[in-house]
Amino acid sequence: MSSSPCSFKNRCVSLLCCTFCQHVLSSRGMKAVLLADSETELYSTDIPPSNAVDFVGSCYFTDICGCKLKDVACLKCGNIVGYHVIVPCKSCLLSCNNGHFWMFHGKAVFGVNRLDPSGMNLLLWGNLPDTEEKESEQSFSLPEEECIR
Amino acid sequence: MAASGAASASGSGVLAYTVHKWSSFSSTYLPENILVDKPNDQSSRWSSESNYPPQYLILKLERPAIVQSITFGKYEKTHVCNLKKFKVFGGMNEENMTELLSSGLKNDYNKETFTLKHKIDEQMFPCRFIKIVPLLSWGPSFNFSIWYVEVNGIDEPDVVQPCLNWYSKYREQEAIRLCLKHFRQHNYTEAFESLQKKTKIALEHPMLTDLHDKLVLKGDFDACEELIEKAVNDGLFNQYISQQEYKPRWSQIIPKSTKGDGEDSRPGMRGGHQMVIDVQSETVYLFGGWDGTQDLADFWAYSVRENQWSCISRDTEKENGPSARSCHKMCIDTQRRQIYTLGRYLDSSVRNSKSLKSDFYRYDIDTNTWTLLSEDTSADGGPKLVFDHQMCMDSEKHMIYTFGGRILTCNGSVDDSRSIEPQFSGLFAFDCQSQTWKILREDSCNAGPEDIQSRIGHCMLFHSKNRCLYVFGGQRSKTYLNDFFSYDVDIDHVDIISDGTKKDSGMVPMTGFTQRATIDPELNEIHVLSGLSKDKEKREENVRNSFWIYDIVRNSWSCVYKNDQAVKDNSGKSLQEEEPCPRFAHQLVYDELHKVHYLFGGNPGKSCSPKMRLDDFWSLKLCRPSKEYLLRHCKYLIRKHRFEERAQTEPLTALKYLQNDLYVTVDHSNPEETKEFQLLASALFKSSSDFTPLGFSDVDHTYTQRTQLFDTLVNFFPDNMTPPKGNLVDLITL
Repeated sequence: MSSSPCSFKNRCVSLLCCTFCQHVLSSRGMKAVLLADSETELYSTDIPPSNAVDFVGSCYFTDICGCKLKDVACLKCGNIVGYHVIVPCKSCLLSCNNGHFWMFHGKAVFGVNRLDPSGMNLLLWGNLPDTEEKESEQSFSLPEEECIR
Repeated sequence: MAASGAASASGSGVLAYTVHKWSSFSSTYLPENILVDKPNDQSSRWSSESNYPPQYLILKLERPAIVQSITFGKYEKTHVCNLKKFKVFGGMNEENMTELLSSGLKNDYNKETFTLKHKIDEQMFPCRFIKIVPLLSWGPSFNFSIWYVEVNGIDEPDVVQPCLNWYSKYREQEAIRLCLKHFRQHNYTEAFESLQKKTKIALEHPMLTDLHDKLVLKGDFDACEELIEKAVNDGLFNQYISQQEYKPRWSQIIPKSTKGDGEDSRPGMRGGHQMVIDVQSETVYLFGGWDGTQDLADFWAYSVRENQWSCISRDTEKENGPSARSCHKMCIDTQRRQIYTLGRYLDSSVRNSKSLKSDFYRYDIDTNTWTLLSEDTSADGGPKLVFDHQMCMDSEKHMIYTFGGRILTCNGSVDDSRSIEPQFSGLFAFDCQSQTWKILREDSCNAGPEDIQSRIGHCMLFHSKNRCLYVFGGQRSKTYLNDFFSYDVDIDHVDIISDGTKKDSGMVPMTGFTQRATIDPELNEIHVLSGLSKDKEKREENVRNSFWIYDIVRNSWSCVYKNDQAVKDNSGKSLQEEEPCPRFAHQLVYDELHKVHYLFGGNPGKSCSPKMRLDDFWSLKLCRPSKEYLLRHCKYLIRKHRFEERAQTEPLTALKYLQNDLYVTVDHSNPEETKEFQLLASALFKSSSDFTPLGFSDVDHTYTQRTQLFDTLVNFFPDNMTPPKGNLVDLITL
């Protein structure tokens, strides 16, 4: 699990793409650092990205904390892009966390900051609805945003 | 580009190719990436856009070649996009390709090379195009990736050119044979003779030409029967017989009884008992079980030769043997004539630290003595007290393997809350010589490729020739497992045959049933009798027995028979005596020397009488049609035709023929044959006016009927003697 200052409302919402094949993995990414290892750059998301990734391999534990993890791979290219926290450990739960259980490795994805509906400002997590966005909303993504500029 | 100059002395080398066509690709994973081998670059591969069929790559060789093998390179790590199943086709053009290989890649980083089919009738054939068709990736929801492909073979024109010539000649020859067959069927005699004269190509073996002459042209049926009789005696039908499916033949064993009563002279009703067979002396040993109210400790031997049970002991505990028990396991060392027993089920009310010890006994057949090998195997590094496990004997190395079973624990006595979760026993080996246990695999959730998941109610069989244990089925808490794997006992290696998630050829077909299995190392077959489901909801829908055969070499399952309760209830008692009723907790043993199965007892699972157990005893033989049967059948077909022909012109003599000559070729104890025979007489009152003439030819009804009979009879002969199976007219598409 990941954290940073305990308020996440002012963080930017990122569109996450697979570094290897540019497949869009999530439109609700948050840049984060690992609770247990602040050196590692990560992105996280709250809603299961079930149409973009699938589980591979078996469950495992890290040396750093007691969370039970399972790797996920990009459905398009099959490369491992992150992991899902299946069972969080006690210490991570007690720490300040963003409640996200889906993590993406900084090297396996790249994030593009999303803009708010006005197209003028960055979209922040505080302004993002909690519910899952529809497919059609997701697909407005990269090219259109670039056109706005 | 690959270098064709790298050809070895035998003329075989790497073949140059280009990627000619492809179904799709995604991102930067272009098809031509398969030309370069860069295992450390994740992007150096072809990857399909989807895993929706058909996905393929077509390679075009620089020039026609004999393609002998294909090598797949892979990524340096495991990858979900690797091909778990694929096929390779080849041909001189893209439209007309032959299957050269059907296989799969391991999900690892090692290059794999496969031999491709490159000969027909010992003659090499050339290919210009190679098509690779991925069927399944290691991650079912992921796309297909191929990292690197190398094709090997011969493209020296000196070698290939003669093969090309042969290949075109072969195709021409087969085309001519199809024409010949067509001409003869339609009685275009002149065309047939002139084509045969010109090409000198044989349509069939001279013996079959002779048969055609006698049957179709002359109608000399007696001579036809003689010819068929000779063919059968010369073993010409053996190939046909070996391709036929087994038919199960159950027969209930009624043992001889010495005492007037008979009650005491054979084992009583029970389930959860154990049986082993000593194939040398043809003796079945039966021990223990549950009679519906209590555990049993009686020990029996059934002699197949004498058809008689004898009671070795009424209570083995009194003879320093095991106490009364059920859900234990037994195995036999036929070399040393010793029987081992391990494990048991204990009712929760009688479980305590003393009763939960896993005792382990050996019975010596020749001295009729029991030996207590261990009071508690878990104290010796072996399994804890388990039930519904499996145990196999390796007589050659004097080892016993035991796997799975649920560990019995005292309820509530341990404060650890985890003890409520059922625990399962792993895979253990017992060295009979040194009397030591060794754990080979702990129970795991299939975490790694060498890990195995423990379970209860599964099957485990030891193949004495390839020295592997085969494990499938069973359940774990409420989950029914349908994976299938082998464990090589000598190199300590697990091989997954089917992970049970996909419908591939190794997929175990009858999961969730309390199946019983046996193995025939000589025939390389595993036999499975599926029983009742323990699951009550499932039971209502699927109350049936079925018998399956797994062909180890071909990795395929086939169903020999199924019966369902509906049929049974309707036909009442009569059918119940023909085959055993569905059940669980029964025992099945196999005599691989005499190819007979023996089944005893079990629980019929009647919810209205939960204490009911069975004491019936059955033998099962798997039969293929015999030479004698085929000869009689062929005679029947010939005589039936002869009768029908005669019925058109001389109804009176035909009737006589029906009553005498045809009658003797029918097995009147077989209801189906009898019924068919009874319907034959109607031919006496039928006219032949319903005959549809064959297009432009002048063949009459008789000629057509005789040709049909000829085609039927020819099917029993080996392929290399017969005319082509296909028909020219079937090549016409509308």
